[in-house]
Parts: sequence; C-alpha cells; structure tokens
Amino acid sequence: MREVYAVGVGITSFTRLEYPISEIAAYPAMMALKDAGLSKVDHVYVANMGSARLNHQSGLASAVVDTLSLTPAGAEVIENGPASGASAIKTGFMAVASGMHDVVLVTGAERLREVNNLDATDFVATLSHPLAEYIYGVTLPSLAAMFTRLYMQKYGVTERHLAMVAVKNHDNALLNFYAHLHEKITLEGILDSPEAMTNNPFVAEPLRFFDCCPVSDGGASVILTSAEVAKKLKKPMVRLAGVGQATDSHCVHERAEPTDLLAVRGAAAQAFKMAGVTPGDVDVAELHDAFTILEIAESEEVGFFKKGQGHLALERGETRLGGKLPINTSGGLKAKGHPVGATGVGQAHEIILQLRGEAEKRQVKDAKIGFTCNFGGFGNNVVCLVFKRED
Amino acid sequence: MALEIYAYKCKKCGQLHYPFRMVCKKCGKNEFFEFDTVPLPKKGKLLTFTTVHNLPPDFNVAKLGLGIVELENGMRITGQVKIPHPKLGMAVIGKVEIVREAEYSKNYGMVFYPA
Amino acid sequence: MAIDVEKILRPIDNPIPPFPAKYMMLAGGEEMVIRQVSREDIPDILCHVEPLLHVERDYYDVVAARLISELLAYYRYRVQDEYVLVAQIKGELVAVVNGRLLNKDVGMSYHTVALRRGLRVGAHAFAAKMEYHLDIIGQKEVLIVAESPIGFRRWMIEYGLEKRFNMAHELGGVPSWALTKALFDKARETLVVGRRPVPKHLLEKAQAAILPPTDPPKAPADLLAATRSLYDSTGTALMAQRWKQEGRL
Repeated sequence: MREVYAVGVGITSFTRLEYPISEIAAYPAMMALKDAGLSKVDHVYVANMGSARLNHQSGLASAVVDTLSLTPAGAEVIENGPASGASAIKTGFMAVASGMHDVVLVTGAERLREVNNLDATDFVATLSHPLAEYIYGVTLPSLAAMFTRLYMQKYGVTERHLAMVAVKNHDNALLNFYAHLHEKITLEGILDSPEAMTNNPFVAEPLRFFDCCPVSDGGASVILTSAEVAKKLKKPMVRLAGVGQATDSHCVHERAEPTDLLAVRGAAAQAFKMAGVTPGDVDVAELHDAFTILEIAESEEVGFFKKGQGHLALERGETRLGGKLPINTSGGLKAKGHPVGATGVGQAHEIILQLRGEAEKRQVKDAKIGFTCNFGGFGNNVVCLVFKRED
Repeated sequence: MALEIYAYKCKKCGQLHYPFRMVCKKCGKNEFFEFDTVPLPKKGKLLTFTTVHNLPPDFNVAKLGLGIVELENGMRITGQVKIPHPKLGMAVIGKVEIVREAEYSKNYGMVFYPA
Repeated sequence: MAIDVEKILRPIDNPIPPFPAKYMMLAGGEEMVIRQVSREDIPDILCHVEPLLHVERDYYDVVAARLISELLAYYRYRVQDEYVLVAQIKGELVAVVNGRLLNKDVGMSYHTVALRRGLRVGAHAFAAKMEYHLDIIGQKEVLIVAESPIGFRRWMIEYGLEKRFNMAHELGGVPSWALTKALFDKARETLVVGRRPVPKHLLEKAQAAILPPTDPPKAPADLLAATRSLYDSTGTALMAQRWKQEGRL
C-alpha cells in the first residue's frame, strides 16, 4: 500500500445553512482545492446520510461533482450513518493507497435543518433496528440514556461529569469560528443553580439538554493524495497513517456487555496498529461526543484511559485544552455541531489543522500525532483514523 | 389469547436469536429459513431504562418509558416500560401490546410492568 | 366650560398589585432580572423591538408589529389594564412580555418575545408572566394564543392548555386557550422558578437603563433556497396533526 497524505482542507460554519445540499458539499470542497493548490481531482467521495430523504436529492455525489465542474471524475456517496465522514475518508484512503487514484476529494455534508426537528429526530432514529427497537419509539438519545444509566451505576460517572464535558467543549468552541454554538455555559447555570432544571431539562433521563449535541447543517472537505503529489504541492506533510473499522450487534440490547463499546475498541486498535503507534503517543484527539457520555466512554475504549476511569481523567483536567491529552479542541459534536455526514470529515479537518500548526487559539503545542473516532449508529459501526505529521 | 414475541432457534445447533438474523451467529451453518420459532419468556429483570421526553411524531404522550430487560432464559429484549418508579434490576413481567401506531399501521411489541 | 377630551378617551386603570422583581441564573452563569416597567420606560423598549419588523423567520415580524402597537397604546394611555415586564441581563434587554387583565378573574396574555436565543430566556419570561396573573394578582385563568409554532409547542402542547374556543382572543380574534389555576399548580415546579428578592446591585443595574440587545434575531443574509422549515422549524405541525386526530383541535 502506498502512503496517503492530506493536503487540503475546507469547512463551512456548522449552523443553520439555507443553501441546497449540493452547495453545502461543494463550498468546503472549493476551499480545500484552493488550500491544496489543485484544480482537478481523480475521484470524489461524498459523505452524507440524509440527502435523499430530507433534501429531495438522491445521487448527491453526481450533483456535487458537476457543480464543482470536476466532471468526468468518478463520484460516489458513502453512507454509514453518523460515521459516513470517516468511512468516506477511509474509502478515499483505499483509493489512493491501492494506486488506483493519485488525487481524491472527500467531502461530507448534511442539511438536517431543512426539515423540522421532529422529522430530524425520527430520521436519526431509523438507525435503530426496525422491529426490535424503532417500533418502541427508541431514539438515539434514549439509547445513549440507557447506556449512561448503566455507566453511572457501574463506574460512578455522575451528572456532574457529563456537564463538565459539555462545559469544556463549549469553551473550546468559543475559539472556533466555524462552531455551531458560541455559547458559554457554566456548571452552576446548567446543574447547580435553583433554576438549572429549567435551563437544562431532561431529554431522555438521565441525559439533559446540554448533554446532547445540537441539530446542525454543515460541510467539510479533505483532499487525499499520494506522496509524490503531496511533495510537489509543498504543503505540510500530514499523513493518514492508520485507518480502522469494526462493527458490533445492531440492537443495543444484544451487546455482550452493555457498558462496552467493542466496535470502538476494535476500530481504534486496528488504526493504531496500521499507524504503528500506541494510544499513549497521541497528542490530540477528536472523539464522537454526540452525547457527553460518549466522550468519556470512547476515551477509555480507544485506550487513552483505563476502562471506568475516563471521568477521573476529565476531573483532573487532562482532556481540556492545555491538559495532557486535549480531546475535542474544536468543541466536539456537542458545541461544534453534528451535521451527520460532515462530522467525520470535520473531525479530520480539526486534526489536520492541529498537526499543521494552524489551529490558532486552539493549537496544541507540538502536535505530531492526532486521532479521530467516528461513531456510527449507536456504536455498531465505528471508524477510527490516525494522522501523523511527517516533516 | 396472549400474543407472543418469538426468538429464532437455529435448526442446526439450537442457538437462540432475538431479533431475527439470516445466518446463525454461533454455527453459521444454517440456511436462512432453518430456524424454529420459540416464544420469548415474559418474566425478567430490568437491566436499564430511561424516560424519553423528546419523542418522534407518532407518539401521543408527553413522555415514554423505555428499557432493556434480561429475560429468564438469559436473552435480552428492548421494550416499553410502564412502571412509575423503575429501579435497576427489578423484576418485571411483559405483555405484548400495541406500542406504536401510525396512520395505517399498528406495531405490536413487548411492554413491561412490575412483576 | 371646555371639555377635556383626554379625560374621556383615556381609560381608568383598575388598581393591580405590582410585579415584584425576580432573578434567575441562566445556563451561561449570567443572572437575568425580570421586572415590571412603567410607561416612561416604553420608548427605550420600542426602539429595540422595531428591527424585528423585518425578520420573517418564526413570525417575529407579526409579533413585533403587534407588540409595538400594544406598547405604544400603553404609553399613550389607550389600553385598559395592561402591564409590561422586561427581562434584562446586565441591563441588556433580552425579553419583553406583556398582557392585560380582561376582568378581575381572567387575564389576556399578549406577547412573549425573546431577543436572545438558546438560553431558555423566553421560557423564564413566559413563566414570570403566568406567575403574575395567577399567583400575584390572583386571577382564575389566563387566555393565551400563539402566533408561531414554537409558541404553540411550548405552551399549548407542553402545558396542555384547555380550549376556550368560544372566546375570541384579542390577538387576531382567534380562538383562545387557557392556563387555569389548576394547570398552573400542576406545572408549578417548571412555571415558578427564580428567586426573590433581587440583590441590590443586580436590580440597580437593571433599573439604571435598558441597554440594546447584543445578539437579536436578524433577517437572514441570503434568501437563496426556500426551506420547508421556514414556517415550522420545530415540528409543531406534526404534533398538531396528532391533536386533530385525538379531537383536541
């Protein structure tokens, strides 16, 4: 397999965007092409989950490749639920690593806010098992809530720890121009004060409003090339060194151990093995905190902390900006936003900026190895990526 | 006549599955219709639960109880939970009722009550 | 003998107890003061409501147009028994709520406008208004209507308001809904929040001046693609459909 480099990145604001879905995918792609200094690509992968159902646009990749005037390059949509972004990057990686293409554009986009939020909730709920979960009214927050309750009982994670993740990520997002939420929140305001229960009502007990990510629109793009092309472009040499993926049972109730996320464990292990590094080598990470509990659980399953001790590391401040291992410097899904198809590419965008030294006020000093975890469904299909700065 | 929810028993090795899968997860040697149906037991203990406040459009209520129950035979099922003050590990008993109704469809599923 | 026309045209307000100011902490840790304003303060509020006349999203334009008329009428003595409450954070105006008393027992809720989004400011302000009618003034019920789907969802559906469809509401003459004392008592935990008395420094800052909102709703910069969510971004139409099937609508 050849080495694959990320040479261009682009992103839109993750907010409410009133543009057609193909333009939400194309705009950051234009920025990525400009960033790389390229005007043609060999192939385009578009990561998206709902364009056919929510935005009346199927075959999104064909629309995107045309609006960018990149025809006759081939193009496909890659759909893997919330892990579509990282899956598209993985597919682009394979295209370049195999020698089939030299320059691949990966762009993720989603426009959830074209429909009202009840329809958006129902759409995301279709990730669950149609006969054993969906018919009961199971939504993604309800699955996360049942998982959280067990995590609280088994490992002593409390509401306070969940709120600390939200506060940390909101603080990081204040430094990120493209984040959805630029809202400072405090533990007192969302948990301690007498009015906290009105400020932070339950969504699915025990998860509250500020434990769940917002509904966002947005797009992000990355350009992957072979080593020769990357060297000619004179960009910082950021290599996509490791890619891993694993699946688990579709129904959450069939998981062997209800508090384990085996797909995260397996995907991360694969990615680290391919990259030839260990979790301890990672300088900065973007984890999939669609619900605050997931940042804690994933930080353990990928290997940063021992199982059941992620919340203790959070307490010690190890995962905040300036700590030993900053997690979600972009604001994470909680504050940066979660446009489902774009999220995985957005995570890669943040890591690439960090490794290039271009993360401005969010910069982690001397970041050389970065990691992302993109969580599909409720933990039944996870893709992890490891990036390395090589020069 | 009480309604049942069925588990699928592999005709080759006897492994029980809920929900349905095409290939036996233990022996992998069956062909997809080589399953017997076996009704799931109704008694179990409440493994975890939640009360959902933000519901999809089909639901007529302000909030809904959901839970995962570990049944007597070790298998697990997701269902609705109609228990006013649920506790982790409590004994529950299930009944098959209508759990979701849209315009032209009625979905039947397991609803759990205190045992 | 000259006739003083103003004496004929001006309504004589019934005496009503004033709203005792309260304060609460919001999600961001800031403290918000909700207090009653008098006629002299109205011009300071009007100028901040005017820009909303051009924001179509979520019916801000209709609400702003009606609110301006209500505030002006209050200011110029052409409405009976109206009150106006404002919510301020560090003096900055973040919400305006108003209403009036139809009679001793029945209140007529007018508007609830939040000038800062995302912090449940509107929820706190609406709750304060209900507390005023039902707890402080001691009325039996408040008639409410909603112009935007967000309002309908938050009040009619969430609190399960009763139908009073025989009574035309003053906002557009549409059928009214009512929050009765019984419903209010049931939802007391969510509806009666906030603390009293307001600490001196907070109250003084709020009373000193009504400062302009820093992040008010604005018309979108680009009117490109039409979106289905323009008229109902919260899914209220679907919930209302369900209510229709239940016969509640």
